[in-house]
Amino acid sequence: MTNFFLQALAEVGTPSVLGLIIIGVLFGIVGGSIPGFTVTMAILVVFPFTFAMDPVSGVSLMVGVFVGGYSGGIVSGVMLGIPGTPSSITTVYDGYPMAQKGEPGRALGIGVASSFLGTLISVAVLVFFGPLIASFSMNFRPWEITALIVFALTLVAGLSSGALLKGLMAAALGLLITTVGYDRNSNLRFDFGLPAMGSGFEILPVMIGIFAFSQLLGNIEKLKDEKSDAKKIDTNVTIPYGLILKDMAGQKLNTLRSSLIGSLVGALPGTGGTVANFLSYDQAKKFSRHPEEFGTGTPSGIVASEASNSAVAGGAFVPTLALGIPGDLPMAIMMGVLILHGITPGPMMFEQNPVLVGAIYASLLIGAVVMVLCNLLLVRWFAKISLIPQQILVPVVLMLCAIGAYALNNNLFDIWVLFIFGIIGYLLWKADVPLTPLILGVVLGDNLERQLFRALELNESWLTFLTRPLSALFLALAVASILFSLYQDRKIQRLKNAAQRENI
Amino acid sequence: MLTLTKDRALALALLLIVAVMWMESGDIRPPTSWQPYGSALFPRILLVVIGVLSLLILVRSLWVNVPERLGAKQLVTEWFQSRRTILALFLLFGLYAALLPVVGYIAATIGFLVASLALLLGIDTRRKWMINLTLSATLTIVIFVVFRYGLNVWLP
Repeated sequence: MTNFFLQALAEVGTPSVLGLIIIGVLFGIVGGSIPGFTVTMAILVVFPFTFAMDPVSGVSLMVGVFVGGYSGGIVSGVMLGIPGTPSSITTVYDGYPMAQKGEPGRALGIGVASSFLGTLISVAVLVFFGPLIASFSMNFRPWEITALIVFALTLVAGLSSGALLKGLMAAALGLLITTVGYDRNSNLRFDFGLPAMGSGFEILPVMIGIFAFSQLLGNIEKLKDEKSDAKKIDTNVTIPYGLILKDMAGQKLNTLRSSLIGSLVGALPGTGGTVANFLSYDQAKKFSRHPEEFGTGTPSGIVASEASNSAVAGGAFVPTLALGIPGDLPMAIMMGVLILHGITPGPMMFEQNPVLVGAIYASLLIGAVVMVLCNLLLVRWFAKISLIPQQILVPVVLMLCAIGAYALNNNLFDIWVLFIFGIIGYLLWKADVPLTPLILGVVLGDNLERQLFRALELNESWLTFLTRPLSALFLALAVASILFSLYQDRKIQRLKNAAQRENI
Repeated sequence: MLTLTKDRALALALLLIVAVMWMESGDIRPPTSWQPYGSALFPRILLVVIGVLSLLILVRSLWVNVPERLGAKQLVTEWFQSRRTILALFLLFGLYAALLPVVGYIAATIGFLVASLALLLGIDTRRKWMINLTLSATLTIVIFVVFRYGLNVWLP
């Protein structure tokens, strides 16, 4: 363990890779601080630049974006009162009031320090639990892996904001997309007579199309609906280091609890920064001696919010690396990066690519340090950049998406794939279909089919999935997650009906 | 007459896709003697799942009372009219994809950026034009240099 980590550190410690981590963190912070841009979009935009890189460089750059992105939401949250990413919504609750009281530097400093500690604690969780889970899952055979993927998909679909049917349908659609082209037996499926469809769809243009178009064009629609009140903000911020140290000294338990919540939530498929954010804010309020201060500009609220959302980064790597099951949308895209670099995340990754696993740990640690330095030194600039209007951002990002899709294989067909899936993604988003299960289905589809048929080739009986204890457990959990979502859906519906009746 | 809602439109569109793909799945080569299951099984399982879920969405949407407003045709027209900017942006992107192999990366990208920035930012002042042209040209060339010389990736 120490050996491969040192080897990885030596690879990540080269000037070129360090430079990439710095660029990644800077881009991540910028992406996270622009309202409506999100961490996921930042990752998607940087993704194509990794094609020409070796795996360690590419993954280090992406990890940098990841770490920077989760912390970037602080800037717009504190300065504008608008969360840069959904995972920093609760940062606004206390960060913005503190800035309005004339202490924006204190709010930013507390946020950055909490983000740093959250990332460190989550790396510790990853280092400890990643190999444990991986070595446990080494015993998984095709039946267990199939059942685990089904469980992950149902869990993600079920957590899709009260839209279980649409979530499940989105997951199935995602899986269906992966069936286009030649299959494992070299049989052609759904090519509709077009030779270009024979090799199927590349994951990247499909993912970018589905996610980026809906997100970017959705931002344009929102601009039309609500007139932007981009205010002139005072970006002349000074960080009171002494006061922040004092603030943080009184937040040890809150930091630890929020970071652990973030790591745990990050490790669960289907959840992510937003869930971690609300959960830890709620817990911090419940444990606080002064819950009435929450929402008025208390350091505890900022610590709870930022420590938890940054801890998601490390936590989300646990299932991705150990099981090959991405925890959330940014992780699904990270998994796409690894696959494109010829690395299949899963239990074998710890055996076959220990240096790369170590490089991820090292990049997370270095990225956290770079993130603190960048945030503290360049906060004024980030505050200015966060004001870039969507009208400029959208065409530029769309162009980058197109070039990224093309650069993957120097193939113009991939731009058309991006375009078609952009239209599909936008229409599905307009129909309130959750897109995360769809993207997860696209990422996991090939593996699910391969494992399912390997299981059936080893034993033709479908009942084997129920007679093997672990696969039966995962399938039972899948059914339980659907039933739980149904219960929640009904509860939400009842509340909606009651609210409607009151309005009448 | 039933009003066309989001859920109903979604369910009907998906049922149509399922029907088309089910027919297309008939062309997939059948399993050989050593294969217990053929290549069509997995997609067919998924098509059944999507079909059943779409039906459930359709049936559920019938239970929800929707005030009768416009007919399907008027609703579609209204939908398209209220999203003219978005549709224009899609059109520009489609044109960009079509023009890339014809006129090359630099001309197509500058054209796409100028047109889409003009669409979203507006072209009513000289300042907006300046921002538009400077940004479009600079970004196009920077990206070209980064990909071509930094990453050794040839753009069309």
